[in-house]
Amino acid sequence: MSFIEVKNVSKTFCINKRQSGVTGMLANLFAPKYEIKEAVKDISFSIGQGEMVGFIGPNGAGKSTTIKMLSGILFPESGEITVGGLIPYKQRKAYVGSIGVVFGQKSQLQWDLPVIDSFELLKAIYRVPEEVYQKNMKRYTEMLEMGGFIHQPVRQLSLGQRMRADIVAALLHSPKIVFFDEPTIGVDVVGKETIRNFIRELNEQDNVTMLFTTHDMQDIEKTCDRLIIIDAGRKVYDGTLPGIRERYGTTRQLDVEFSLQQEIEPMEKVAVVDLGDNKKRFVFESHEIHINELMNQLLNRYSIRDMNISEPEIESIIRKIYSGEARDAKSGCKEA
Amino acid sequence: MKLSPYFAYAKKCFLGRSAYRFDHLMNILSTCLQIFIFWGIYRALYGGNSEVDGITLPMVTTNFMLSMGLGAVFCTNDYFLPDKIHDGSISTELLRPISFPGRMVAENAGNALFNLIFRFAPALLAAVLTIGMSAPAGAAMFGMFLISALLGYGVLWAISFTVQMSAFWFVNVWSITTIKNVFINVLSGSMIPLWFMPGWMSGVLRFTPFSSIYFTPVQIYLGQLNNWEIAEKCAVQLVWIVLIYLVGDMLWRKGQRKLVVQGG
Repeated sequence: MSFIEVKNVSKTFCINKRQSGVTGMLANLFAPKYEIKEAVKDISFSIGQGEMVGFIGPNGAGKSTTIKMLSGILFPESGEITVGGLIPYKQRKAYVGSIGVVFGQKSQLQWDLPVIDSFELLKAIYRVPEEVYQKNMKRYTEMLEMGGFIHQPVRQLSLGQRMRADIVAALLHSPKIVFFDEPTIGVDVVGKETIRNFIRELNEQDNVTMLFTTHDMQDIEKTCDRLIIIDAGRKVYDGTLPGIRERYGTTRQLDVEFSLQQEIEPMEKVAVVDLGDNKKRFVFESHEIHINELMNQLLNRYSIRDMNISEPEIESIIRKIYSGEARDAKSGCKEA
Repeated sequence: MKLSPYFAYAKKCFLGRSAYRFDHLMNILSTCLQIFIFWGIYRALYGGNSEVDGITLPMVTTNFMLSMGLGAVFCTNDYFLPDKIHDGSISTELLRPISFPGRMVAENAGNALFNLIFRFAPALLAAVLTIGMSAPAGAAMFGMFLISALLGYGVLWAISFTVQMSAFWFVNVWSITTIKNVFINVLSGSMIPLWFMPGWMSGVLRFTPFSSIYFTPVQIYLGQLNNWEIAEKCAVQLVWIVLIYLVGDMLWRKGQRKLVVQGG
């Protein structure tokens, strides 16, 4: 049964187009020009309880807008959203008590106050019972190693510390759903690892449903089973992480070590990269060139010491999807 | 101890205000100065006459001491919502399972209580000791004055609330807020007592909410109204609160649909 249900949701913004300079300013003053920007176009997906879903896309793809609609902050232009039987933007007050949201770029903590004071305020706002509060505080501060700075004012924290404090702030009321909007932005490698481990543990132990946006593919690889990719407001992919290789990862590379220095005759639809030390890399599309034929050709013509075939990294597939180069192996058509 | 969320916000605001001590002292000084300057002006205008149009100088003095004093207490934060829309922090506010207007009331109440104790009281004390002020027209009238002052605050808050909602459309609302404040300062009788307004002006003002803010409580304090009139004026205050709030609430509902969260 799906827990989060998003059906044909669209959201447009009206943007004031303004020319630069004084003339542009004057023109804008008397005859402002507006442009409709479609931030989210007809997106549908559903997420089951306890699922952990990565939600990725290039900058400006509509990730944050979608998260904000899911958390009841923005109204969708059209379409429907239900989460756990509630409509976020219509039943906001009843709804937001059961969710937690972390905006990596915006702190929810009180800038001038010690971290603990912000937590106390949130405890009152969410009416968290004392024992639940104490239990959560103890557990989260241990898991995220926060003991050292919990009494420091927020403005004196490093970005990594602040982010951890923000994550705890979003979880104090034991929400059943958590939206993470770039929770690892600007955090160092160790900090990222701590955050990822924490998120994974929370998902496994408490069965918390999570939606996770990020630009760091390692975040996704280490935490999520499922991936939704959106680009220019549209859903481009929805499936498992390995599934994306099957669908888009049509590029193969064949690394060959030759016995001697070789000049390679150019071949159609195969790119050759010189790796030095008699090693060369052959890059091709699996639906255009058959691996057997290529290997036969090479073995017949040259003396070869070693061969190694590899699939592309997830990161490079994603990069191709963003830049519109990726081919959908199933339909064979190019994604817009 | 389990605090209600709204009480927690009011408390946070109250405590947060004490952080900037210098600013706080300057505020007391500014309220005192305002009162002294207006006292000086009106003393000169009266030029030794004991009364003008039946209004004595002590009545006038009492009017602006009370209305400016109350003004210092009420002092609504007109940029509460506009600031949050401007920097995008409105999104975290909307994530809280509480009513946003309620949150605004709580914040203002914490502020008002702080102002009452640490700003109004010292300034009023300084003014009473140096200038002197009429005593209230009896204990019952003083009680009614307090109720009416609270209602006056309600009217002021509702106006501020409604004007703030325009930030959903314009984002920068400094000009609208300034216009609003000019209207309140001039038409509420805090600078020029409404007794001195020309007849036609008083006629027009009867149909606006401005005289409900400070002038009604002052009139009650001075004992210028009989019981029937007090009941009527307080009812008018209530009606204004409800009417203006309903408009503000409608804008709040519409505004949320328009909301654009700035800064990613």
